[in-house]
Amino acid sequence: MEQYIQAFSEEAITLLRNLPRVEIAKAMNILQAAYERDGRIYAIGNGGSMALATHWVADFNKTVFTHNLDEHARRFQAIRLPTTEEELTAWANDVGYDMVFAGPLKNYIQDSDVLIAISSSGNSENVIRAVELARSHKVPVVGLSGFDGGRLNPLSDARILVPTPPGEYELAESIHAIVLHIFTRYFRDYFAHVLLLRKEKQASNANVVPA
Amino acid sequence: MIISSAPMRISFVGGGTDLPDFYKQYPGRVISTAIDKFIFIAINHAPFNNCVAARYSVSEEVPHPSQLKNTRIREALLDLGIEKNIEIASFAPIPARTGLGSSSSFSAALMKGLYAYIGKRLDKRELAEAACRLEIDLVKEPIGKQDQYAAAFGGFNVLQFNADGTVDVEPLLLDFKKRMDFERCLILLFLGTTRDASSTAEQKAITPQNMETLKRMSDSVPVFRDALLRADFQGAGEMLLEAWTLKKRLDPAISNPRIDALYEIAMKQGAWGGKILGAVGGGCLMMLAPQQKRAALVKSLTTAAKAEGFAGACEIPIGFVQAGAEILTNCNGR
Repeated sequence: MEQYIQAFSEEAITLLRNLPRVEIAKAMNILQAAYERDGRIYAIGNGGSMALATHWVADFNKTVFTHNLDEHARRFQAIRLPTTEEELTAWANDVGYDMVFAGPLKNYIQDSDVLIAISSSGNSENVIRAVELARSHKVPVVGLSGFDGGRLNPLSDARILVPTPPGEYELAESIHAIVLHIFTRYFRDYFAHVLLLRKEKQASNANVVPA
Repeated sequence: MIISSAPMRISFVGGGTDLPDFYKQYPGRVISTAIDKFIFIAINHAPFNNCVAARYSVSEEVPHPSQLKNTRIREALLDLGIEKNIEIASFAPIPARTGLGSSSSFSAALMKGLYAYIGKRLDKRELAEAACRLEIDLVKEPIGKQDQYAAAFGGFNVLQFNADGTVDVEPLLLDFKKRMDFERCLILLFLGTTRDASSTAEQKAITPQNMETLKRMSDSVPVFRDALLRADFQGAGEMLLEAWTLKKRLDPAISNPRIDALYEIAMKQGAWGGKILGAVGGGCLMMLAPQQKRAALVKSLTTAAKAEGFAGACEIPIGFVQAGAEILTNCNGR
């Protein structure tokens, strides 16, 4: 049994060593730009990927600023879509499962926004529909995929592909969680640094004796 | 109402290699960053106002766009076939012609907004090309392509201008710590006088002698990039000094005694190097210097600049931004 566990960790370690660092960096620049223009960030995915999307949204809206919630006049506006189970089931039941993300996204989307799409296969039709909607608005897409990247990877502006054998959801989703936590920690550290510099500056200004 | 914006930029190395006379013979390269100074354009549909209004430093109201004095707005409206019922206003935090690429930021924000007005969305590359087309083909400015790309894409980039006219945009992936450390090494001193982008010394005809200089400038762009990625800001500053010295030797007209005096003061007080953004006798003086010497340098440079006759001299505090040309508001429907 230990060997079985070891085998999984070895596979995960190999994937982590080969993270698509340039694409992750591009994704963080896309998020930075959305923050600067006060745009919103939508996160979508099915099943485990939806759990990742929801978890990340909570982190981004709060944890990023957690020790300094009141120090930043502008915070992130990350939104998991659809926002309620009622909306999800209504779109699925009334229109079709393919529209559970694109349907609600159309209500919200503005040119200043960003979409984060998470799909291990990269081929979930409902995710692709939302990605196509975002692309038609020229809204940047951060795509987190596994397996061979499917259709999602080439449609994304930041192409975060975690290459696994087909069907290896556990590996793909585990590494996706780590990538999303890199986003969170990067911006947490960034905003803490912004605050530190601001306080340093205030302190040095306070020390200046007026002429 | 549509509101669009586009950032101004600071260009470090490679200016002039974005002109076709150069890049048709040798790959042109520029390294630049968007800064947190934005041009805003507001576009209003005015169905009961049977004319065209353009409001910038002056206010124009004319029956047909062909009568507008503002060349960029005029050519853009004529090109898109918008003939009436429109009001366009622009807003800027800094006067025009400071060497921060603001006229191309204006063009990028204008085209982003006008395309949204006619129901089309442009991605970054489409927008950069639309702004280039407006300025170079329609307004016939003798300028290169670096500023339009910088404004449309935003962020910190190496731009490469290829012989076939295409432009490669390679983002410089600096983490926030390096980016902010670099910001704190950078001094931007506005000297108060202004110029036209098209009159800059860098835009002269290619001669065998300046061809060699421009090749060296283009080749130094990846070296400058690597220095920044290593957080070797001193090395980057020294490259600016080297480029400044070389350019001045070849063409003394890029500086004048007043600028030389300021540059020398900065160097004596520990700066690593710098350059003039803009043309002779004006624009901005940009210096790179150790963080701890920054405050003293800003103070003495400002005083010295005023003594040299740059009455409006002042520091422009800047930060680098990722945002490019954006639609901030579009109430005309989606």
